[in-house]
Amino acid sequence: MFQQPISRGRVFQLGGALAAAGALAAAGHTDAIASMLSDEVTVTFWTPGGSARYCQNFSNIARDFHKLHPNITIGKTTCGTGQQDFLTVLLAKIAAGNPPDATIYWDSPVTLGVRGAVMQLDPMMAVSQYSQAKYWPPSALASCQFRGKTWGLPLTGSPYAIWFNQDLFAKKGIPTSREKFPKTWDELRKLSKEFTYWKGDTLVSAGFLPMNPPELPATIFVWSALNGGTIYDADHQKYTIDSDQNVAMMQYMLDWLNEEYKGNRTAVDTSANWTGYADAKGRAPAFQAGKLAMLEQGFWFVGDVLSAGVTFKHYEVAQYPVGPGGKKTVSGFWPNWAVIPQGSQHPQEGFKWLDYLAGVGVEKWFAVTPDLPTNRNVPASLVPAVAVQQRGQAYAANLTRFFHHQLDISIPMWNSPIQGFAFDQINKAVNNIMHKVAKPKDALAAAQRASQNELQRVLHSA
Amino acid sequence: MAVMAQPMKRRRWSVMRRREAIAGYLFILPWLIGLIVFTAYPILATVYFSFTDYNIIQPPHWVGLSNYTTMFTADTDFWNGVGNSLYYALISVPLGLAFSLGLALVLNLRARGVGVYRALFYLPALAPSIVATVVFLMLLDPQNGLVNVLLRAVGLPAPGWFEDPSWSKPALIILSLWGAGTAALIFLAGLQEIPQALIEAATIDGAGAWSRFWNVTLPLLSPVVLFNLVMGVIWSFQVFDQAITVGGTTGDPLGSTLMFMVMIYNNAFRYFSMGYASALSVVLVLAILVVTAVIFRTSRLWVFYEGQQRDA
Repeated sequence: MFQQPISRGRVFQLGGALAAAGALAAAGHTDAIASMLSDEVTVTFWTPGGSARYCQNFSNIARDFHKLHPNITIGKTTCGTGQQDFLTVLLAKIAAGNPPDATIYWDSPVTLGVRGAVMQLDPMMAVSQYSQAKYWPPSALASCQFRGKTWGLPLTGSPYAIWFNQDLFAKKGIPTSREKFPKTWDELRKLSKEFTYWKGDTLVSAGFLPMNPPELPATIFVWSALNGGTIYDADHQKYTIDSDQNVAMMQYMLDWLNEEYKGNRTAVDTSANWTGYADAKGRAPAFQAGKLAMLEQGFWFVGDVLSAGVTFKHYEVAQYPVGPGGKKTVSGFWPNWAVIPQGSQHPQEGFKWLDYLAGVGVEKWFAVTPDLPTNRNVPASLVPAVAVQQRGQAYAANLTRFFHHQLDISIPMWNSPIQGFAFDQINKAVNNIMHKVAKPKDALAAAQRASQNELQRVLHSA
Repeated sequence: MAVMAQPMKRRRWSVMRRREAIAGYLFILPWLIGLIVFTAYPILATVYFSFTDYNIIQPPHWVGLSNYTTMFTADTDFWNGVGNSLYYALISVPLGLAFSLGLALVLNLRARGVGVYRALFYLPALAPSIVATVVFLMLLDPQNGLVNVLLRAVGLPAPGWFEDPSWSKPALIILSLWGAGTAALIFLAGLQEIPQALIEAATIDGAGAWSRFWNVTLPLLSPVVLFNLVMGVIWSFQVFDQAITVGGTTGDPLGSTLMFMVMIYNNAFRYFSMGYASALSVVLVLAILVVTAVIFRTSRLWVFYEGQQRDA
């Protein structure tokens, strides 16, 4: 007699499973099929860009994560979107319903959250291991929050400080310690003159350039707070760009430009690249070339301050000096945020990955790229390897402690639903003032009007 | 004897003709679908979105003419963008035509190795626009760029180029000449179509080089001039890569390089105002249509086709 290898019941079971799989495949849920069959999930993860080493590092971190969560595989990190603008591609994917499960984002998550482009994270944070609200510095977490809801995680939050060339200071007999650095704007302005030198219409060297791009759109919040003002009041959802303190701040900066820089911002800009990074023209940064004695930069600058071609060995960092209208020093920060796009196929698994990154994985991230971790589960004793190589363990630890303190005294930033629009208006106003196209009061009033109107429009439709 | 005209009888298509027509439509169907899906639908969608408040993610919300009202009455960047784009178009297009025509006239000479020169002059047009822009940023660097170094060497003033709001648009216009090779090739093809007999006849009649060019070559080249003019106008209004590389999203310095397309990009993808960006796009298309229509309308006065009869 023949043996029946498969029973009739088994045939019906297999047929039903195949039909269900076929239906799911037709609907595009191939991962659901895999999950149905084996409970394994592959999470797609993006970053807006970065060096090959930075992006590859996420794969290394993902391997460690996989050991703890064998059913979750983090797919190969999509490192930027090639020649297409990252935000354009991300928004298109969200609108089309096939976004990545999780992504790093280099701009305010509030702008995405208020428009329904990313998921609210509070429920997932509440039951997470590392990402509960109590584990984040308040101002860092506030950068992701709007109307009481959290739209992202501030995985790293590199704070700002004033970096100065100690070798240049020493040559002029100026004290080089952090503690002796100017504490007020008047002291900074007086010190800056020591280093500023013109040859005809060419600025050969400078001390400190007020309202200097490209960090300006972020740091204007800091300068405003240093003078007792604000740019954006998140509690009342109101811009305060043209407040008396801000008008006074810009008048002060304009007076500074007139006194030390011949009142000619165009001549300053054409003379050199007054930043810490090479510009689009390939001009070497003036700070590393020893032409600029002081500049404001974020913690990440520790990886680039002694880059190739640098003309000095010793640098130091100091707190921001206080303006005439201010009472205490503050700082600001520029995070790497992480978000879960709306329409993510595996939001829970994606959030588990981000939670791991926040509390554990960021240590490996920090070892490669000096972005200061913000989560309180990450040991504060971590120091950037590049600073240890440059200046030794003791200095690197001291530097990192300083920046942790800068993060603690940072003001709320990045929490406006119209971040990009407001940045452009403020940038335009500051440029118009510093190039003497408009008076401070008028330029700031124009930025205020435009920003507040746009904010009202977005809040109305939110 | 008068012949009464018979009314045309409606002829019924034969089966063969019907089959041929169906086959023809089937052959062009892929292109037709592409036209509808990738051209017609996006245009109609853009017009619709221009009357809505739309952020790409959430459904559009009808606001009527609000976007257009904001554009013309409240958006200061709009008039700045219009001014910059008009300045750029009004200068770059005629300059580009003259430059590429001059290039074509030189390449039309019967000189040894002219084929190599034709390839060399066309090569820059193949380079990505961002690459060309970065090269020009270096060449026009106010301090160390080659152009200013040479200008200073001969005692001429060295402008600030992309750092100076008075010189940034002229610098962009100079940059636009980098791609003149494409128009030059089209002019070259037109020049080679001109019957040599006409040139020789003019020479025999005592016409000098300029007279031959002005009275024979240019009139016969006018259809090509029309084509390059229309394409140049369309392209100049759509300048984006160069402007955003040079001036960023704020049109630095001082908004002087804020072109219309950069404004559309800002509103669509940085400010999440796809509705307003759509309204800007509609206005841009209408502006290009009007300018193109005016060019075509006036072309009857200055474009001559070979063999065409004109009233004296």
